[in-house]
Amino acid sequence: MGSDASETSNVSDDDRADAGDDESEGASVGGDTATVRAALRDAAATAWTRLSGVRASTRSVGHRVEARALALAAVATTAILLVVFYYPVATVFVDAVFVDGRPTVEPIVSVLSSRFYLVDIFGFTAYQALLSTVASVLLGLPGAWVLARFEFPGRETLRSLTILPFVMPSIMVAIGFVATFGQNGTLNAVLGAVGLPPVELLFTLEAIVIAHAFYNAPLVARVTTAAWESVDASAVETARSLGASPTRAFRDVVLPQLLPAVAIGATLTFVFTFASFPIVLALGGFQLATVEVFIYSRIQNLAYAEAAALAVVETAISIGLTYWYLRYEGRNRGSGQGARPQPRRTLWPETWTAREVGTRAGIAAYGVIVLAVFVGPIASMVLASLTGPGGGLTLEHYLFLLERQQTGASYQVRPLPAIANSLRFGLGTLLVAVPMGVAVAVLTTRDFSGRAAVDALAMAPLAVSGIVVGLGLLRGLVFGTEVFGTRIQVTGALAVVAAHAVGAYPFVTRNVAPLLGNLDPRLVESARSLGATRVRALVDIELPLVAAGVVAGAAFAFAISIGEFDSTVVLAEGSTSYTMPVAVERYLGRRLGPATAMGCLLLAVTSLSFVIIERFGGRYGGRGGF
Amino acid sequence: MKLTLENVRKEYGETVALGRERSGEAVPKQATEGESTATGGVGFEVDEGEFFTLVGPSGCGKTTTLRLVAGFEPPTSGSIRFDDREMRGVPPEERSVGVVFQNYALFPHLSVAENVAYGLRFSDPPGGASRDERVASLLDLVDLPDMAERDPTELSGGQQQRVALARALAPGPDLLLLDEPMSALDARLRERLRMQIKEIQSTLGITTLYVTHDQEEALAVSDRVAVMNDGAVEQVGTPQEIYRHPATRFVAEFVGDNNVFEGEVVSVRGRNDEKRRSSATEAGESPVETKGVRGGTGEDRVGDDRTTEARPTPTATGPASAEAGSASRKIEVAVGGVRVAIETEASLSCGDQIVFCVRPEAMRLLGDAESDEATRSVGKDGPTSEGETNVLDATVSGAEFLGDSTRAYLRWNGRELTVRSIDPPVGDVRVGFAAAAAHVVERVDVR
Repeated sequence: MGSDASETSNVSDDDRADAGDDESEGASVGGDTATVRAALRDAAATAWTRLSGVRASTRSVGHRVEARALALAAVATTAILLVVFYYPVATVFVDAVFVDGRPTVEPIVSVLSSRFYLVDIFGFTAYQALLSTVASVLLGLPGAWVLARFEFPGRETLRSLTILPFVMPSIMVAIGFVATFGQNGTLNAVLGAVGLPPVELLFTLEAIVIAHAFYNAPLVARVTTAAWESVDASAVETARSLGASPTRAFRDVVLPQLLPAVAIGATLTFVFTFASFPIVLALGGFQLATVEVFIYSRIQNLAYAEAAALAVVETAISIGLTYWYLRYEGRNRGSGQGARPQPRRTLWPETWTAREVGTRAGIAAYGVIVLAVFVGPIASMVLASLTGPGGGLTLEHYLFLLERQQTGASYQVRPLPAIANSLRFGLGTLLVAVPMGVAVAVLTTRDFSGRAAVDALAMAPLAVSGIVVGLGLLRGLVFGTEVFGTRIQVTGALAVVAAHAVGAYPFVTRNVAPLLGNLDPRLVESARSLGATRVRALVDIELPLVAAGVVAGAAFAFAISIGEFDSTVVLAEGSTSYTMPVAVERYLGRRLGPATAMGCLLLAVTSLSFVIIERFGGRYGGRGGF
Repeated sequence: MKLTLENVRKEYGETVALGRERSGEAVPKQATEGESTATGGVGFEVDEGEFFTLVGPSGCGKTTTLRLVAGFEPPTSGSIRFDDREMRGVPPEERSVGVVFQNYALFPHLSVAENVAYGLRFSDPPGGASRDERVASLLDLVDLPDMAERDPTELSGGQQQRVALARALAPGPDLLLLDEPMSALDARLRERLRMQIKEIQSTLGITTLYVTHDQEEALAVSDRVAVMNDGAVEQVGTPQEIYRHPATRFVAEFVGDNNVFEGEVVSVRGRNDEKRRSSATEAGESPVETKGVRGGTGEDRVGDDRTTEARPTPTATGPASAEAGSASRKIEVAVGGVRVAIETEASLSCGDQIVFCVRPEAMRLLGDAESDEATRSVGKDGPTSEGETNVLDATVSGAEFLGDSTRAYLRWNGRELTVRSIDPPVGDVRVGFAAAAAHVVERVDVR
């Protein structure tokens, strides 16, 4: 405490001045008390206690600010949300209910009564989301089984790696998938090498579903692994001692504890894939139009009312799903504390029975699929960045980036500013999103009526589609709004950081809130009874104990900022605010090469933030919601 | 520092955590009569330097009371004062209280010394000592001088408990709050630590509010005890008062082993003062009888004014009752058809339904029902002619050998009795107790 010395000297002045002041007496020890205590402690003790009593009262201004710091953080969070999320989104929604300045329900009714919208657009969106969810669960569950039930070198690392796909920039994943499944992609090269005919996967539903599984299967695996590891071995042993076979014990004891986790993973996957935009556009095109893509095409045709009506319906569905998810997650939170986990099997058994061989063959086959789905696209992208037009290895795409950096015209996107901007925005996002996310986590782990609603409102950025937010930012902030005759516009770096923070803070919250919720409330109460304000208790006690979640959330925030495309491309202006994903998109022209080279740089930076998760998040053993 | 609670209630929505319903059947008879509980809230005073214990079964509101005093939650109504300062709206960090929780709540990321020093970040150590000196002296005080650099997780439960105590005491709080600090420890350690806590408390002279569900612990360490039940204080008194003169049936049954009887008064007579008896009988028949007795009770009490906090009951509870022989009457009570003789100062008349209790240690095993010479002449249950001893024929239903004695459970007249004996008894036995050993707890209203 650096300010102690000055405070103490101030206080001694005050003490002298207020020697007879009743009010300061009231704050310190009363007269009788002091006499009695003097017999038990020495006189100096009494003087010091009195002094610290006075001190407390002079400090109360600072105290009052500190006591309200949480409220201030909440107000700031609300303000940021209002400016860069709710207001822009509202400007989009207004088009759905106001036509020519008059309120109407016509656009929404027309969406809800149109067979085309309901079946072809919403039906297809739900259908692909369902397929993607099934694929993610099917791909994720065996992973959870291997991670939870087997012991092998690198298991912890592999487990940490399951975060990685989630923070991959979608533009990069799209390029990776094009490089893998495109006509001249890796898959066809492999097929040609073994003499099989080429397949055309691009612009098919399969490609979309696989890409969605790439993102979401690790998520399912993560939450299920966590639930599986918290199954108490004693419960299984009890079932066995009561006569259940191993299969029966699994069905009766383990499975009921896994299902909620699987349901949480599946719901999240459905929410994400229902509103997924870049992946669907890049791998499906307009012929496989989900709601998002269709809204995008309506906007391009300037049919705002129709787009807005679609967006309203889509958002209602997404928020409903998110609300359900949050309630479900809240109900299932905090179980399995202090459980004795079941012992893990080794991946390499001591005796090879037929059963063991079958199991291992299954794991090996699963490993091949995992390699194809997760490593394939990334490796293909790296390979494509190193492959010349003739098919030989070359560095020419990287040289192109260098050249563009040196000779690029001012209207052209140059690599170094893109990298610098990405890092700057990432850091800015970190500084804004972490306090926002922590404040929301602290507020929503308390019990109060309407908590679920506040939680859902705070988590809305997770549920509202990027394209709606992007459009809202464009029309609400970039075009600006008239306030008392002055046009107020919000663009440039600050707006980009705010938009990134809004997109990123729910991940901080979801990483921190479950850990905070599991902390013993008496830790904070102890700190407060020892003299700490609520905020000091948060900083001194809670945050160090949930450091793993905060660091993981921060890494999420950083990675999300680095990879964000939708709102960045809307808000970016000139060379001061374009980022790496924007650069990737700009380089995506006739040739894949330069874009893949830029994508590899993006990969490198994203992986760096992953290393931070791995080093800090993994070490403390605590894990957040994802 | 003196702590005052006045009519404090705590409600969570519809649920009443502290205080009783203002009306309705949930209110036991005494609650409607006592002044302090007229509105169902909790009220008591803890004097400077006093070791005051809240004891009661789980859910009785004792921990809620402590949390309200600490300022972790605001009371729904009522007043909590430190000396004469109203504490409503004062956050916990400005109350100068030290709290020790059942699970200690040590900060796991700080060392033992850092835990103890945490409170010194916000106030200077009392006595002008440096922070390091203060931490060292507190670790000395709790007998853990060499543990400063350890992680709290490396310590045993008892050591953690003492670190938590040192941490709570470090900033020199005015009030120490202990919330079941022993219940996670094994029995022997608990007994040793509670002596240590009591010793430290009286050395420092710090006002202490101690919460426990263990009535034995409460009797062992406290200056005074408040027995709580169902969100209200049943009785406040010294451990001796609480044990010897329970004010309500709940206190009689909760504190220590006890035999509680219910029956109808069938005869009343003064022991040696005819005049007194008749006046008592008169009073008993008058509608203002209760008030008259209450006044008499107050006179009987010894000079200790704390006793007046006990919920007034229609019974004489003064510790002086034993000497005040002239005030006590001998009455006979029909308990399940058997007449039992007891002595009481309470003003009772024939037909009153009363509850009285007899401690197991006041009951004597007289031998088995067939062979005992002394009681054969009586033959049946009832008052004996000699020694005014009641003799009950009972059957042993179970016994627990405790080492220094045996706790025996007997069936008598359709109810269970508990007695103490040296060796476990078997079969049919005969137990006796003196009329003066009975203590009338309450009179039941017969409608």
